[in-house]
Amino acid sequence: MSAAHGDGGGAVIAIERLVAMANQIGDFFAPYPHGQREEGVRNHLRHYWDPRMRQALLAHFDTTGGAGLHPHVLAAAKLLRDEQQATRKAYAGPPPRS
Amino acid sequence: MPNPRKPDGSVVTTCAYCGVGCGFKAETIGGEIVRMTPWKEGKANHGHACVKGRFAFDYYRHPDRVRTPMIRASIDQTWREVSWDVAIAHAAAEMQRIQAQHGRGSVGAVSSSRCTNEEIFLMQKFARVALRNNNIDNCSRICHSPTQFGLSATLGAGAASQHFDSILQADVILVVGANPTEGHPVFGSLLKRRVRQGARLLVVDPRRTETAESAHCKATVHLALRPGTNVLVLNSLAHVVVTEGLHDAAFIAARCHPAEFEQWRALVADGRYAPEVVGPEAGLDPADIRAAARAYAKGPRSTIYYGLGVTEHSQGSTGVMCLGNLALACGMLGREGVGVNPLRGQGNVQGGSCLGSWPHMLTGYRFVTDDAVRATFEQDWGLPLDPEPGLRLPNMFDAALAGTFKAIYIQGEDPVQSDPNMNHIVAAMKAMECVIVQDLFLNETAKYAHVFLPGSSSLEKNGTFTNAERRVSMVRKVVAPLAGLEDWEITVKLINAMGYPLHYDHPSQILDEVARLSPAYQGMSFALIERCGSVQWPCNPQAPEGTEVLHTQTFPRGKANFMLTGYVPTTERVDERHPLLLTTGRILSQYNVGTQTRRTGNVAWHDEDLLDIHRQDAEARGIRDGELVAITSRYGETRLHARISDKVSPGVVYTTFHFVQSKANAVTSDLSDWATNCPEYKVTAVEVAKVPANAPASARARAGARA
Repeated sequence: MSAAHGDGGGAVIAIERLVAMANQIGDFFAPYPHGQREEGVRNHLRHYWDPRMRQALLAHFDTTGGAGLHPHVLAAAKLLRDEQQATRKAYAGPPPRS
Repeated sequence: MPNPRKPDGSVVTTCAYCGVGCGFKAETIGGEIVRMTPWKEGKANHGHACVKGRFAFDYYRHPDRVRTPMIRASIDQTWREVSWDVAIAHAAAEMQRIQAQHGRGSVGAVSSSRCTNEEIFLMQKFARVALRNNNIDNCSRICHSPTQFGLSATLGAGAASQHFDSILQADVILVVGANPTEGHPVFGSLLKRRVRQGARLLVVDPRRTETAESAHCKATVHLALRPGTNVLVLNSLAHVVVTEGLHDAAFIAARCHPAEFEQWRALVADGRYAPEVVGPEAGLDPADIRAAARAYAKGPRSTIYYGLGVTEHSQGSTGVMCLGNLALACGMLGREGVGVNPLRGQGNVQGGSCLGSWPHMLTGYRFVTDDAVRATFEQDWGLPLDPEPGLRLPNMFDAALAGTFKAIYIQGEDPVQSDPNMNHIVAAMKAMECVIVQDLFLNETAKYAHVFLPGSSSLEKNGTFTNAERRVSMVRKVVAPLAGLEDWEITVKLINAMGYPLHYDHPSQILDEVARLSPAYQGMSFALIERCGSVQWPCNPQAPEGTEVLHTQTFPRGKANFMLTGYVPTTERVDERHPLLLTTGRILSQYNVGTQTRRTGNVAWHDEDLLDIHRQDAEARGIRDGELVAITSRYGETRLHARISDKVSPGVVYTTFHFVQSKANAVTSDLSDWATNCPEYKVTAVEVAKVPANAPASARARAGARA
């Protein structure tokens, strides 16, 4: 077993369901201004989702361009992908203003 | 001859039946419990009790109690009774085999809010030190996880801001999606007492509940909204507050982030949330929305109590945030008679939330992804912890169906009966290679189990419970565990068998460990609780005997936050085939899935779950009172007897979920809260039809009924 999360990989949830869940998160952050909106989704995916769920979403993003994802969820997925080593600590309140 | 009715023993303990956590004297004759007498010194109940706590104790010695561990190779085999050592060794070996074969993340555990704080803490420790992952969840996932999320986001602490007695100083009581006179009866009596003294009562609930209207208690305003429109209606209340200038500008300036307030004000002030727009959509009179908002804002002391009618929605977390926002806007926090207070279902749901039994959080609501937090646990426990969040309970079931999750250790829960979309859960259970169930009885889930570990009831163990007002009370052993071990002892054995050496002489040592690793419990100990009777967290050097009211000076993060709570309707909609909305709940005399209370004399008061339907909807379908009806959703079907009722509005039907044969969750959907995956139990589109007289009478769940 690897030293990281240590699972054998493989899907944990069907991608259609992950896309629906990610869009639900996106719907919540939709009223926030540009910047905060994407950051809020990123924080949620990073700190509340099992890494296998995140990786499946990112793989979907890479292979299909993120078919079915709302625009700011796509932007959040990009933030997540570009920042694999999360430096920003998890938070529970509103997304910080950039 | 001595009086044969005179108890020869008495132990003070805490009731496990709801989040009120009443103190009781359990009285015994010759080692058998003969009665439960409400304890006058109990700070949650002051000598009061309800029909569950008072009378429903006989389940503990019911013949159905399992007294010996059992194993079997597959679920079509009969159980084989074995010794504790054999059962534990088998369970551990199976977990290890599956992890070696399918990966470290292929196994997980779920803890129970019927168990003690110490037992819940050990369950998450089991996942973290024995399974070496974060696949640990607790049953509040399916009830109050949105509370933890929504109150943390706004106020900074996922718990009730008040103590129960605080309601006696309230002028206005807003009850949202809760029916305390049946769900939390002893607190419900307190509420009624205050209403009789003249407090105004505002109720937001699709049903005309007993809280909304009963002999001595009538709501000033009852907003009987359409199921699924909570966020819309709560935003409309906020709309009235900000557009009529009823908000508390001084409180907001001093205690909240002003920019967040301005952002929020702009959102709720939008014409979309005007009562005149919201009213028709939610089935309400706009004047009632305005009246409720004005009464709440005026106070001067207004308090909010809410339940699963808020949380169990696809916008459950958003609904909780709406309540936090509303209280902040009106300055209704940080003193007596105000606040935001979740009413917790099971006895120790608050403890379940506090004790780190989460895939993304350790004790004290701290993220597992936080290196500094993890380090304190790693130092205490002597091994590195998984730095990534694990799977939530519904995710575990999804992963089981996907073939990547193979084993689960379930403590005192019955997901097959209690979790949504039963056909989906059953399929997930069948897909697993090792299901370990630890319970008092062979519950529905045990049908799919490979290892059965007989647990102990709260009458058979020592430990603590944390009630809905953050009060930590003692649970004391009245009788010896029927199967020989308290639940914490079983988990300790399993952790050892998995190769992590662990030993406690007494549960008090587990609470000491909790205190070391959890800021809010820092000062807690059995000795302190023994001395004070009970202690509300936070308990620390600044508050050595605990804290009754939260947020009096500052919020945990300094200032509080308004969250933006746009209304997003659920995707569960009525249509021609499913024109009615089903909502579910519970009744006074029974508890949850009924595993315990159905095995007591309390069935005399409620011996089956009925479907409440409005006369208009019944007549349109030719249904008469008492007739058997089929309830069909997009997910499944079940059958119940109908009860014509004016407690539900036209278009809404209602049932409880206490009896196995009712299979209420055969029809509920697998839609869930956006933030927490808490299921949307409260909104399912259904059709109800009369069952022809010659049809088989038994209720059944039809697999594959998904349209």
